[in-house]
Amino acid sequence: MSIGNPDMILDFAVRLDGVSLRYDSSEEILSGIDLNLKPGSFTCLTGPSGAGKTSLLKLLYLALPPTRGEVSLFGRRTHDLSRNALSNMRRRIGVVFQEFRLLNHLTAYENAALPLRVAGQKEMDYRPDVEELLRWVGLGGRLDARPEQLSGGEQQRVAIARALVNKPDLLIADEPTGNVDPEMGERLMRLFIELNRRLGTTVMIATHDLTLIRKVEAPVLRLQHGLLVRDVEFGGNAA
Amino acid sequence: MSQETPLLPERDTREAALFFVVCALCFLAALAALSARATYDAAAGWTAEVQGQITVRLVDADRRAADEARDLIAAVPGVTGARVMAHEEIEALLEPSFGAGGLPAGLPMPLILAVEADPALENLAPDLQRRLTEAGIDSRVDAHETWAGDVRRALGVVRLVALSTVVLLGATAVAVIAFATHAALLARRDIVDVLHLSGATDRFISRLFERRFWVLGLKAGSVGALFALAAVALAMSMASAGSGRSGLLPRLSLDPTDLLILIATPILAALAARIAARITVIRSLKGAF
Repeated sequence: MSIGNPDMILDFAVRLDGVSLRYDSSEEILSGIDLNLKPGSFTCLTGPSGAGKTSLLKLLYLALPPTRGEVSLFGRRTHDLSRNALSNMRRRIGVVFQEFRLLNHLTAYENAALPLRVAGQKEMDYRPDVEELLRWVGLGGRLDARPEQLSGGEQQRVAIARALVNKPDLLIADEPTGNVDPEMGERLMRLFIELNRRLGTTVMIATHDLTLIRKVEAPVLRLQHGLLVRDVEFGGNAA
Repeated sequence: MSQETPLLPERDTREAALFFVVCALCFLAALAALSARATYDAAAGWTAEVQGQITVRLVDADRRAADEARDLIAAVPGVTGARVMAHEEIEALLEPSFGAGGLPAGLPMPLILAVEADPALENLAPDLQRRLTEAGIDSRVDAHETWAGDVRRALGVVRLVALSTVVLLGATAVAVIAFATHAALLARRDIVDVLHLSGATDRFISRLFERRFWVLGLKAGSVGALFALAAVALAMSMASAGSGRSGLLPRLSLDPTDLLILIATPILAALAARIAARITVIRSLKGAF
């Protein structure tokens, strides 16, 4: 006799079992990926362009379903979740896209507050928190600026604020330093580490930047031709 | 507290064309609905005019026989009046065929009785025919049923065409809006994706588009209805400026029912736009993960 919910797989934030992905009838972008990320872990994902880093991240932030295998997040298998349950699960994930993906007609403040607005929270309730978060990322004076009025680094920080605003359990960042200068890249990485340490958020960052990876001193996964070359169970926080 | 910016950008030049199309469809639909109603009223009026009126044509009868027939008919229950039509009245009836110059000399003229009866009474004409025959008066009783039936059938067809036009225009508007919503959804895919990945449910996203197209339908429908109102007012003013004889044509009016049609047009357009947007967005999102 089994005890408990068989769909609940505890003790990990992310788990991939034999996950493969292909777009339409093309070759597999990812093949048989197995991966476990423990809650509160900090992991870097690296690999050459076209290796499948972005595709792997898309599976993690539930933008795509796998072609084969199973993706589980926060102890739940995702393949049999209803659309509303998937939406609720996405609210627990913060995503920083390489190309920012800010809404151009909204201000920095409105962009950062978007996940809270989507979740149905009242502006009067969240405004102080969002403003504080934007101050924390160094944008306290640019609340009303629209994306085209912001520099690349500022836009990236708005995107980070948006990813962090609802205190996600999992933060996924795709080349978060790709569009900013090295100094800003280092500042952003320090921000992720602080978030990981202070809130216990599970963080996964995809980046080419090996210098940055060395500075972070976090476990590294390497993707090559759709295969996870090193597939180790990581549990420690960044040093 | 500052006003929240809508999550879908307010200005979209593509929507100007859609606004025009919906506006034109609403104008045509409102006009078709008003025409259908005017036709319906005309049919009812024409039928009411001939109901309760019976014409009795006496064959080979003189004036004395005509008076005798009139007295017999007047005594029948349900008959409210009966009289022998004057020669001038019969001439006036035949004027459209023979012109105003008078009838040709020597043209045999029938004697005709005009009978008024209770319109609610059924089968009065056969009853009169039977009584006249029994009294030995050769006559033809006509309750105008054939003509009224033809009119009713013709107007039924016209009404059906008008209503079909309204339905067709409505369906076209819904299809156009569904197509436009799909295009808007594709054009705003970037925003939809960000909302989706931020945890927005399908209903949340669809409500954004529903609200947008509800307002568009309401505005375009109002303008279309206003144009229809202007067209009807123009038609009415032209009709009243003419001879005042509308003949068999249905006359457009602006009574409370017509105004209700005009008020309902933008609401129905907005409702159709909203439903079309909802179905299109939900269906489109269901295709994504």
